[in-house]
Amino acid sequence: MKKSMPYLFLLPGIVLLIFFLMVPLFAILWPTLFPDGFSLSAYTSFFTDEYYIEILIRTIRIALIAAIVCIILGVPSAYFISRCSAKWKGILIAISIFPMLTNSVVRSFAWINILGKNGVINNLLMAIGIVDEPIGMLYTEFSVLIGTIYLFLPLMIMTLVGVMDQIDNDMMEAAESLGASKLKAFIKVVLPLSVPGILTGAVLVFTGALTAYTTPQLLGGNKSLVLATLIYQRAMTLNDWSGAGVIAAVMIIITLVVMKVLNLIAAKLDKRGEIDA
Amino acid sequence: MAFVDLKDICVSYDGKTNVLEGLNLQINEGELVSLLGPSGCGKTTTLRVVAGYIDTKSGDFLVGGQNYTKIPVHKRNFGIVFQSYALFPHLTVFENVAFGLKMRKMDKATIEQKVNNMLEICGLTEYKDRLPKQMSGGQRQRVALARALVIEPKLLLLDEPLSNLDAKLRIQMRVEIKRLQKKLGITTIFVTHDQEECFSISDRVAIMNGGVIEQYDTPENIYAKPKTEFVARFIGFENFISVDRQDDGTYKALDYIFKCDNSDLKQAKITIRPDDILIVDEASNLNSISGTIQVRTFLGKSYQYEVSTPIGNLIVNGDGNKVYETGETLHLYLPENKIVLV
Repeated sequence: MKKSMPYLFLLPGIVLLIFFLMVPLFAILWPTLFPDGFSLSAYTSFFTDEYYIEILIRTIRIALIAAIVCIILGVPSAYFISRCSAKWKGILIAISIFPMLTNSVVRSFAWINILGKNGVINNLLMAIGIVDEPIGMLYTEFSVLIGTIYLFLPLMIMTLVGVMDQIDNDMMEAAESLGASKLKAFIKVVLPLSVPGILTGAVLVFTGALTAYTTPQLLGGNKSLVLATLIYQRAMTLNDWSGAGVIAAVMIIITLVVMKVLNLIAAKLDKRGEIDA
Repeated sequence: MAFVDLKDICVSYDGKTNVLEGLNLQINEGELVSLLGPSGCGKTTTLRVVAGYIDTKSGDFLVGGQNYTKIPVHKRNFGIVFQSYALFPHLTVFENVAFGLKMRKMDKATIEQKVNNMLEICGLTEYKDRLPKQMSGGQRQRVALARALVIEPKLLLLDEPLSNLDAKLRIQMRVEIKRLQKKLGITTIFVTHDQEECFSISDRVAIMNGGVIEQYDTPENIYAKPKTEFVARFIGFENFISVDRQDDGTYKALDYIFKCDNSDLKQAKITIRPDDILIVDEASNLNSISGTIQVRTFLGKSYQYEVSTPIGNLIVNGDGNKVYETGETLHLYLPENKIVLV
């Protein structure tokens, strides 16, 4: 009786997951495989449709580029923050997670104001005379990318600060004393030790960017569809729930595969050891 | 001219108060010099100035006649061993030791040969493929030392390298350090707060307090003749008695007359170690005083007594032959050659 008690506490959570996640998920995926009798036709028609393939590749491309740009921007920022005093660290972390504190619609409207035909950038470029007519930046892959990176960079920075805080500054100093410039010491010592954090951050950004809906909807519109917006279009506009289910299944599989691969890489590269005696 | 020369070094962290106040230190080539002092005395700051991690407010730092004050850390070619060892956890022992040579862009064969040679000297050959986390504290310590020595540094800087080891290993390692230092002839600066450790391996010791060096001399001289009250207290002197100098060269506290060796100094306090006070049967009228035992504590080989006398409480270590009880009257004799004036 006593031994089974801990499992009893799991029950509410499990019930919640089964009825509100697994059942609906199953209800969506089941018709894609069994329209009437087992058939993969829904999937073959998805993967043979060039339009869908284009959206699939665009989605992966956006998620991948967002993850890479977040690594490039996040690593130096996170390192800088992790070397600050406790007081400044708090302030800088608050500033860097600011994009996550705003509502995603408001956030996207801000970018519409910046990138739009009458937006800040176009007005500026025209005023200086670099361009004669506004550049179409909004509703492109570029605008979706900007919005996505803006949204997910804080996630990357937070993950990396956590890892980099663990790297003793003595190690940087030791590397310097052995003849490494600050940059070289960073590359040879801090970077390898941050790999687990970089990969965790990359998984978070990639899966987040892959499934994000509001940002690509508002900044990409119908011209730059991604899988998430495509699902909405299929289900809500065209009432094709089976088609939406197929896309959902594809997204889930991509996410799982990417997570697995990155976890394998992380396990291989993670050579951090404890410093304590 | 001294090999290492620190001239009037001032360091300030906040721009107002100085952590180092016009510090001067000269070290000869091949010497092992210790910076000894309580925490906050500036010894680690001094080491970090030498290493190049801290910019000085004023003053010059020369090595072999060349001014190093403005040379960045990675161009100084000094070997540093940190208290935390600061080994690179993602690299094996071999790679850790090879790091400095790789930074110097040496060819692979040379690196291999130099690293293997250094691992041999430090007794680490069998561990060369291990990661730091797979090694004990003493072994990590040796890796840190090997890593600092393999680059053939101009100076070796040791920042409390032994404080993370247990007592037995500490003694073993300090002999090891001394052996390597003498063998390779590397000028070394050793920072510590452990007096015994420092006296046992140093050629010379600089005792620091409040950002200045109070005394810089051989361990033997410092042990026998501390120059200031701070140094005396730090190395185990107790029993500080204020005295007045008299015309005949003796010193007087109340009605008690004390004679001591270097009585040409005109200073106001005499001091003596608890071990050096003798318990005698009868008080004479020179260098003698009587008092009653207030507190008795057991030290292992003998008892220590706190004796209340007219000139203040004196701490005396008994010789172990006879045990006295609290409240008993003791006659104390302070040998002329053991009294130090500060």
